[in-house]
Amino acid sequence: MTQLELKSVSKSFGAYAVFESLDLKADSGEIVVIFGGSGTGKTILLRLIAGVQEPTSGTIEIEGQDVTDIAPEHRNVGMAFQNFALFPHMSAWENIATPLRAQKAGAIALKSGVDRVAKLLKIDHVLDHAPRELSNGQKQRTALARALAAEPRILLLDDPLRNVDAKLRFEMRIELPRLLRQSGATVLYVTQDYKEAMALGDRIAVLASGKFVQIATPQDIYMKPANLSVASLFGDPSINTSETAVEMTGKIISVRLGGVQVPIDAHYTPFVGRAVTFGVRPESVELAGPKSAGLAATVMAVTPLNERTVLLLKSEGGWEFLASLPSSSTNIPKPGANVKATFASGGTHLFDKTAGERLDG
Amino acid sequence: MGDLVLSNVEKIYRPNRKAPVHAVKTLNLAVKTGEITALLGSSGCGKTSILRMIAGFEEVSSGTITMDGKPIHNLPPVGRNVAMAFETYSLYPPLTNGENMAFALKAQKLAATESDRRVKAVADMLEISDILHKYPSSVSGGQQQRVSLGRALVRDASLYLLDEPMGQLEPRLRAVLRGRIKHYLRENNCTTILVTHDQTEANALADRIAVMEGGVLQQYATPAELKVRPANLFTGTFVGEPPMNVFFANVDVSAKSVSFTIDGGMVLTYPATELSAEVRKLLLANQRVGIGIRPHALHVAKGSIKGKVVACQWLGDQTHVAVEVAGRTVVSIVHEMLKAKTGSDIQLNVAAGDLHLFNPETGRAIAHGGDLA
Repeated sequence: MTQLELKSVSKSFGAYAVFESLDLKADSGEIVVIFGGSGTGKTILLRLIAGVQEPTSGTIEIEGQDVTDIAPEHRNVGMAFQNFALFPHMSAWENIATPLRAQKAGAIALKSGVDRVAKLLKIDHVLDHAPRELSNGQKQRTALARALAAEPRILLLDDPLRNVDAKLRFEMRIELPRLLRQSGATVLYVTQDYKEAMALGDRIAVLASGKFVQIATPQDIYMKPANLSVASLFGDPSINTSETAVEMTGKIISVRLGGVQVPIDAHYTPFVGRAVTFGVRPESVELAGPKSAGLAATVMAVTPLNERTVLLLKSEGGWEFLASLPSSSTNIPKPGANVKATFASGGTHLFDKTAGERLDG
Repeated sequence: MGDLVLSNVEKIYRPNRKAPVHAVKTLNLAVKTGEITALLGSSGCGKTSILRMIAGFEEVSSGTITMDGKPIHNLPPVGRNVAMAFETYSLYPPLTNGENMAFALKAQKLAATESDRRVKAVADMLEISDILHKYPSSVSGGQQQRVSLGRALVRDASLYLLDEPMGQLEPRLRAVLRGRIKHYLRENNCTTILVTHDQTEANALADRIAVMEGGVLQQYATPAELKVRPANLFTGTFVGEPPMNVFFANVDVSAKSVSFTIDGGMVLTYPATELSAEVRKLLLANQRVGIGIRPHALHVAKGSIKGKVVACQWLGDQTHVAVEVAGRTVVSIVHEMLKAKTGSDIQLNVAAGDLHLFNPETGRAIAHGGDLA
């Protein structure tokens, strides 16, 4: 069931349009991630839904009811912010209780409401602490608890893990989906971190240049990116690219990488003659010994990351590209090694050179 | 160029006041010629104090620092022939980016053609050739950081000190630059110390990593060794992302098998032969151990670790599976796409060869992969 719907929502400040005509539907209980770089208007979008700012045009519906002109406190929307925004003079308990007090909850409902979310977020032992006495992780949990306390239908989370350290961010990333499901709320989750987006989102809406360039499941975003910019935003290291053209010699379809012809899948036949950007994800690059078939390349450097090891390679012809292998794999080539590179089927993409959209063979 | 050796180096700030700060404690560290060493630790671990003592911005409280056998800790910074890239860039505002990069070469009276050649080569590598004529204030933070790094790399120095040199770069460029810079440092046989709080950076660039905590060097080893043979629970859990799974358990050693009864109920049993005789002997004496298991060593397959899926998150090149077992959450990493429903039953196993055992009180490693640590 559609819980939240944006219909051609636009927002401008004077002549400056932040975004134009956004459409989005979120089902009841769904987690939709709004993903985009800084300055793309993600936070403004949340503020429009919360009702603290008004759209220039378009409507916002919650459970089929137009709420565009309804005051924030009557929308049943909870929000948590990147910078926590806790009231400094109130204890964690009082902070969490604020939305319940605003609803004029009785003493018993107030206590049980705060206790319920505090337990869920494992902060029941620090409820009498003032915000300054809390660690960053506890502040962030308190802010989340406050957002959840009034059991909102819609929960807006504005990059809530931005200001916590890497370890805690990882722990919360693992914990959040279950927490959010238990709350039953429909969630719009804003982030700039593609891993967070993929890990948490049932669907991801990619916001760029004032538009949703793609709204899809993490799997589709990663495997069928709408365009080159979406492909580049997801993945670490990001996708290798080279500008080239699709050629056909006999029945073989190929592109040139650093001037060297490299065969590609036959389903790209319709694009012969087209100027394209070829893309291959580092984890789709497969390396074999110098006597195997493939693109000849030299290993320039080996940079082990954590679970994966990244290799910088230079092909004969001078195309620089990255390969990523599991660090546990036993045959990682050494710097200076000569190798042959091939690309896993399904791991290569072609994008139109000018428009950037993915060419689907 | 030469070996850099720190012997019994101490740093105490405000030694005569009420609350002296013992920032670096009896540090012994040797960096070989051409080696890239990373000083890795969280803020306050002492890594910046070490860097500043090597550069000469800070005096050693006691101990010696030698380069190629000659003491340098009493020399002024300028006499140490150290090239440094600062975390805060510290570029000269009235000079263009290109002039900043060439500054030390000019002072060294290097011929203009040679200086230009070097600046161009390094600028190309760092992808800043197009901003050399601009001033630092008119380019982005990431570009200033690359200019600062370039200014250090163009020099012929005995030692290169790089303080958080890539923190401001966007991820795409960072991945490529890590590879290029590592290649450059190796080609030019640059003895390098990299200071960072980012373990990914340290792993990617360094030949050896010095893990610091509380002013004490915890372990100095290759990235691979840190993963496979962590000296203690601190390095074991600090290095590695996602972090090592840690349990505490009671041990039962019999003639045929070794069992670990993990707090919260689960039991891991292995044939005695999978652990060496020395380890078994040690376990007989230590009835309690800490067990560390790396996420990639925890396999999703039939096994004695039974739990429920908390989260199953596919990130494109790997899947993180979080499982609730014995009242806690453990994480397994699979390099393929794996689908598992939240709340469903799942089994995991771990080979005896992938267990890290620690003394639960001191945290010191007892055994790795069935052999003594």
